[in-house]
Amino acid sequence: MSQVRIRIPEKIKPGEIVTVRALVSHPMEMMAFKGGKPVEKNYNFVHKVEATYNGRKVFEAATTQAVSQNPFVSFTVKADAPGVVKIVFHDTQGKTYEGQVEIKF
Amino acid sequence: MKSQQDLRSTRRAVLKRLGATGVALGALCWGLVVPGGAAAQGGAGMPLPDEKVADTLKRLFGDRPLQSAGERIKFEAPMIAENGAVVPLRIEVELPMTKDDYVKNVYIISDKNRRPMNAQFSFTPDSGKASVGTNIRLGSTTDVRAIAETSKGVIYEARREVKVTVGGCGG
Repeated sequence: MSQVRIRIPEKIKPGEIVTVRALVSHPMEMMAFKGGKPVEKNYNFVHKVEATYNGRKVFEAATTQAVSQNPFVSFTVKADAPGVVKIVFHDTQGKTYEGQVEIKF
Repeated sequence: MKSQQDLRSTRRAVLKRLGATGVALGALCWGLVVPGGAAAQGGAGMPLPDEKVADTLKRLFGDRPLQSAGERIKFEAPMIAENGAVVPLRIEVELPMTKDDYVKNVYIISDKNRRPMNAQFSFTPDSGKASVGTNIRLGSTTDVRAIAETSKGVIYEARREVKVTVGGCGG
């Protein structure tokens, strides 16, 4: 369930700009309305996505409930050295979903 | 005769007063509803459930002008989205990513969603390129804006209209 699926191209050349695609299973709860007013509760949705490449931050996203269920993000990394791209999804309930992928030439 | 006139005038006065009270009560209700909505959002910095797109832009960028992006932003969005719950978007910003001048943030803002600010993406020079793809929800047919902000504070905006057949925002 709490697994992050990541895809990168099969062949990577040094210095190339690589597109990383990540997907996580998450309900991304939508705001409920009762009598025209929003229901007050702690909605469960992914509000932050962070990605690092060999410890350096390459990408960060602040997402809202307007992002679809099972959120998908793609971003790029400049692959200048072999290493690990690590992605963390944070949701509003304090849960984190982590995934990583290795870049090698 | 005189007493009748008196009566009439008082009746009128009473009605007027009633009307004024009604308006005041109405105003009070509005005053109460809006902060309640803000509290529903919980976190700090979260916008109200209903925010006009102009207010969103003002909140995010202040009075800085938005320049039309032209060729600088490659923004792929479907012309017709059959399902508003999953609208795939792809944004590529064709600007240099050097240490001194890079694309710091990319925003997705959809004009007619209840809360127009949908997502904010931050990049660093290590990203190589400010490129992002994601799926968003749209409530109805609307303009979607991709807004790129560079580290020097210049803002570029690209816009696409997406026609939505079935809205994806529930209530």
